[in-house]
Amino acid sequence: MPNDVVVSVRDLSVSYLARRGRVRAVNRASFDLHAGETLALIGESGCGKSTLNLALIRQLPKNATIDSGSILYTRRDKSVVDVLKLNKAELRRFLWSEFAMVFQGALNSLNPVIRVSDMVYDTAAAHGLNKAAAEKRALHLFEKVRLDPYRVFRAYPHELSGGMRQRVLLAMSLLLQPQVVIMDEPTTAVDILTQRSILDVLQTLREELNFSVIFISHDLAVAAEIADTIATMYAGDIVEVGPVNEVFYRPRHAYTLALLNAAPRLSAGAEELYSIPGSPPDLIHPPPGCKFHPRCTFATEVCRTVLPPLVAAEAGHQVACHHTDDVVTAYRKVSRA
Amino acid sequence: MSVKSTVPPAASPVRQMRYLKPFRQRVGEALSSYTARVLLQGLFTVFAVMTFTFFLVRLMPGNPVDIKIDQLMQTQGLTYEQARSQAAGLFDMDLNAPVGQQYLTYVQRVLRGDLGKSILSAGTPVADIIWRFLPWTLFSVGLGLLVSFALGVLIGAAMAYWRGGILDNVMTAVASILYSIPEYIIALLIILVAGVQLQLFQVGELRGGFNPDVAPGFTLEFIGSILKHATLPVITYVLATIGGWILAMKSSTISTLGEDYITVAKARGLSERRVLTAYVGRNALLPLVTRLSVSIGLVVGGSVIVEELFQYPGLGRQLLRAINGRDYTVMQGIFLIIAISVVASTIIADLMLGWLDPRVRVGQKATKG
Repeated sequence: MPNDVVVSVRDLSVSYLARRGRVRAVNRASFDLHAGETLALIGESGCGKSTLNLALIRQLPKNATIDSGSILYTRRDKSVVDVLKLNKAELRRFLWSEFAMVFQGALNSLNPVIRVSDMVYDTAAAHGLNKAAAEKRALHLFEKVRLDPYRVFRAYPHELSGGMRQRVLLAMSLLLQPQVVIMDEPTTAVDILTQRSILDVLQTLREELNFSVIFISHDLAVAAEIADTIATMYAGDIVEVGPVNEVFYRPRHAYTLALLNAAPRLSAGAEELYSIPGSPPDLIHPPPGCKFHPRCTFATEVCRTVLPPLVAAEAGHQVACHHTDDVVTAYRKVSRA
Repeated sequence: MSVKSTVPPAASPVRQMRYLKPFRQRVGEALSSYTARVLLQGLFTVFAVMTFTFFLVRLMPGNPVDIKIDQLMQTQGLTYEQARSQAAGLFDMDLNAPVGQQYLTYVQRVLRGDLGKSILSAGTPVADIIWRFLPWTLFSVGLGLLVSFALGVLIGAAMAYWRGGILDNVMTAVASILYSIPEYIIALLIILVAGVQLQLFQVGELRGGFNPDVAPGFTLEFIGSILKHATLPVITYVLATIGGWILAMKSSTISTLGEDYITVAKARGLSERRVLTAYVGRNALLPLVTRLSVSIGLVVGGSVIVEELFQYPGLGRQLLRAINGRDYTVMQGIFLIIAISVVASTIIADLMLGWLDPRVRVGQKATKG
């Protein structure tokens, strides 16, 4: 297993400089992404999911800085690249050919004044791929994502529907056969049927082309369906990482448990929806100890003072919580009821 | 994985037809509806302006005969009677005919392409006056607009790109100040400070469109003289309008830089140059095109006060002269030309916007799925 790690992130911290002070948006994040693996990052809005991913491709806004940590990327030929040490030109070549991204705002991710074909050619030209080869590959991919390849290739973005644009982006992200594709909430802006078809397409493509995915979502159902590994983020910290069944059926962090409880269930009927009390903490002055303690039902004195470290539990599970056992017991009770 | 294999072979001819048909339709639709509609609207606008100016100039206090009589009495010391008889001989237009009838005659003539003759400079066709002075205005105001737009767009884009830098901070202040000073104040400042106080140039020498001592012709000297005489008006136009372009381009570029497709383009590894031109520049320019069209339309009218201040032989100065002398026909002619050019440049801007932005292209239906 350790040999097929594609991306290895260690102690990555990112902060934004705001008028009130420094916002630590990602705090010492560490994780490994294996070949062919899909890692889903879940958490509330503003927990640092998107920032973490922008940091991975070094496209953070100007007021953000990477304070510490390393991002190591292993190429197909097993050579290792330190992403944070690439210079501008190297980074430009590296992006998209190794590390592609499907962005959150699908509807707005295509340049409105040029054709899809021009965007394909632009991408190809930037990476030394000739036009004919790029066109052939794009048409092939468009068909794979169930689009009418010729029509879409010649189309302007405004001539395509939201779902079509999302699939165009998905196809474009695979144009240069990257090993890793980051998907930032690719299904939030589209309706449920389109979401279904995009997820199906993604599954098929993944089986065929065998790339790794970092999937950002706050939709737990989607994450459960698509991911192999789940990482829960809270206030910039990765608080729990583990295989999808472990995390969803045996959550060990109080926050993951709260998230799972907050997810609406069709079978819930008239039962009241649960929501996590309070709101995410101020990241300029984060609470001492465990950042989740002010909202946590399990919180005790130790949570208010000592920051729990991310430690390994059984079955590849890692968790940063003082009350792991209580959480597990509580979940059993909830699920049995 | 060849291109052909992605499509069932039987579908290919159908596809080709589907390609051609919308194109033919597009051309047809554009010709039949959009272009026709735009042209009709334009014609109507021009006709309306023509009608309004015809009546409005006649509503101005005084009339050309009275003004001419006044002039003759003052300049040549004639008595009222003498001046009146002399003035009457000068006018070949029947100002005593009913206004409605004058209007009909005027419209008939314009439709034949005849703008009539000047009232003040008896016998000179209005068209001749326009042809004689229009090139000067087109040249000076047009050059000013071109320089101002090009510089303004570049500076504005650079300010947005290096937002918060020295250039941005300094130029934002400069642009706001320039934007708020009327052009005639700038012209006066140039004349008084640079010309009279600092003696950087001789104000008197730079009157007119060129140095009368230089023989007109296609010579370096003559062209140099034309450029030299146009310098001050052009600088005035540039200074007076560049602030607006800078501020507009800056805000437009800032909002474009924040768009997702820019981040995506960078993440795709595109070269910085490609991102800045095809992705940032082109999108940021769109809102400025409409503004540019209005400005282009107003080039023809020139700047009445600036041309008067610099004694530049443009159409604006002729307009001022015509207004002062109540030269109805010349006023009508110049206003007509201004109306036509505003309408024409609006149409051109429409087409240009369609060329730059496929979303507003006419006769093309968006296929939403």
